[in-house]
Amino acid sequence: MKHFSEDDLIAYQLHESSDESAIHRHLEECKDCAALSESIAETLRVFSAEPFPQPDLEHNWQRLRGNLSVLTPEHPSRLSILRWHWAWPAIGLVAAALIVMAGVGLHLHHEQRTKLHLALDNHAINGHGPLTTQPTDPAIADHLDAAERLLTEVNNSQGSLDQTTREQAHTLLLKNAVYVHTARDSGDVAEAAVLENLGRVLTTLDNEPPTERSAWRLRLEMNTNGLLLDIRILRQNDDDKNQGAAQ
Amino acid sequence: MSNRRMDRAETEAIREVLGGNRDAYRVLMDRHFSSVARVAFRITGNKEDAEEAAQEAFLRAYNKLPTFRQDSAFSTWITRIAMNTSINLVERRKRDLSYHAPRIADEPSAADGTVRVADGHASPEGALLSLEAATLRHEAMAGLTPMERAAFTLRHMEEIPMTEIATALNITVNSAKQAVFRAVGKLRRSLAPVAGGLR
Ligand SMILES: [Zn+2]
Repeated sequence: MKHFSEDDLIAYQLHESSDESAIHRHLEECKDCAALSESIAETLRVFSAEPFPQPDLEHNWQRLRGNLSVLTPEHPSRLSILRWHWAWPAIGLVAAALIVMAGVGLHLHHEQRTKLHLALDNHAINGHGPLTTQPTDPAIADHLDAAERLLTEVNNSQGSLDQTTREQAHTLLLKNAVYVHTARDSGDVAEAAVLENLGRVLTTLDNEPPTERSAWRLRLEMNTNGLLLDIRILRQNDDDKNQGAAQ
Repeated sequence: MSNRRMDRAETEAIREVLGGNRDAYRVLMDRHFSSVARVAFRITGNKEDAEEAAQEAFLRAYNKLPTFRQDSAFSTWITRIAMNTSINLVERRKRDLSYHAPRIADEPSAADGTVRVADGHASPEGALLSLEAATLRHEAMAGLTPMERAAFTLRHMEEIPMTEIATALNITVNSAKQAVFRAVGKLRRSLAPVAGGLR
């Protein structure tokens, strides 16, 4: 008689089994599997939901309220406040950047409205419109292209990262610092912010021990902070600009 | 956790927040904080951490609100973020603990038979309802990795579908299932010494 594994029986008890009727029939005639299955069922009963202590909403609201900054259309908050903090000194130093920002204010506004409709997920990107009116350095465009490919691969892969991926990350990291400066110098704060964020992820990729766990953490973080999406938006903007230039 | 569209009140609240009215965020908080904190509670295992993780999730969501696509439910989005902040918090706590004290896994646990079934309980399940059992359950849960714990509690206690758990934890559905299976296996073995007849 072919017995079922513990995992099979756990899946059965959780109604996640694709083999439910076969297992059910087997349990009626196999004492061993029936005992194991009952032991699993009991475990699930013992670890059923404990009552949840209701939080004090007023207290939590007051605490949260103190941490909320005012969101205004003037803050292109596609990038969170945290990711903007470094940019302020740069803006202060480069007055020209402010002028550029003001000059493309309408574009930013349009950009922001467009981005309201973007998904948190990494697919279904339909945003377009330039972040700035400045042409993007083709070297940066290539860099973003390579970064997007690498991160997509990291995101779609399983387990720990292979040596090639880690070497690619290292190479990209070395170039990235240069492009952050280029973007800042040209007053493209949004692009610079994305590149900064990319730099942090690449640093993690470069430094983390090559374990399955660290790779998972990295993928989770990449997705939570929306880096891949940011890069794709920048890339798409570049494409739009290039098409616009060709017309 | 459904993908239903948001109602007018939520859409309106988000528009007001984006227009600079912080207090409008209270609408979203009133509606979703409890359920978000409950999910966080399943993952963190205690009220204080649950509320902290829920707070952090609401703050993150607030700062990322301009990127939120309004044709998916805010509840789905905020719950996903909360699963992330909860796991992060649990991992941080584990790191702090291993830095300052012996690791949980190194401490004597129920698995070595230190927890005894009290006399007078007719069945193992009855015994497990006692206060002692609460400690045992707590220790058994502490033996799970943050991911196993999250996947197990969300699936078994909150009955969240595997696909949604997998998306939130950024793992494949198969990995999420494996995490749940490992969790149940570990928990079952932790019960073995007290549950007598159980294998
Ligand atoms: Zn059998």
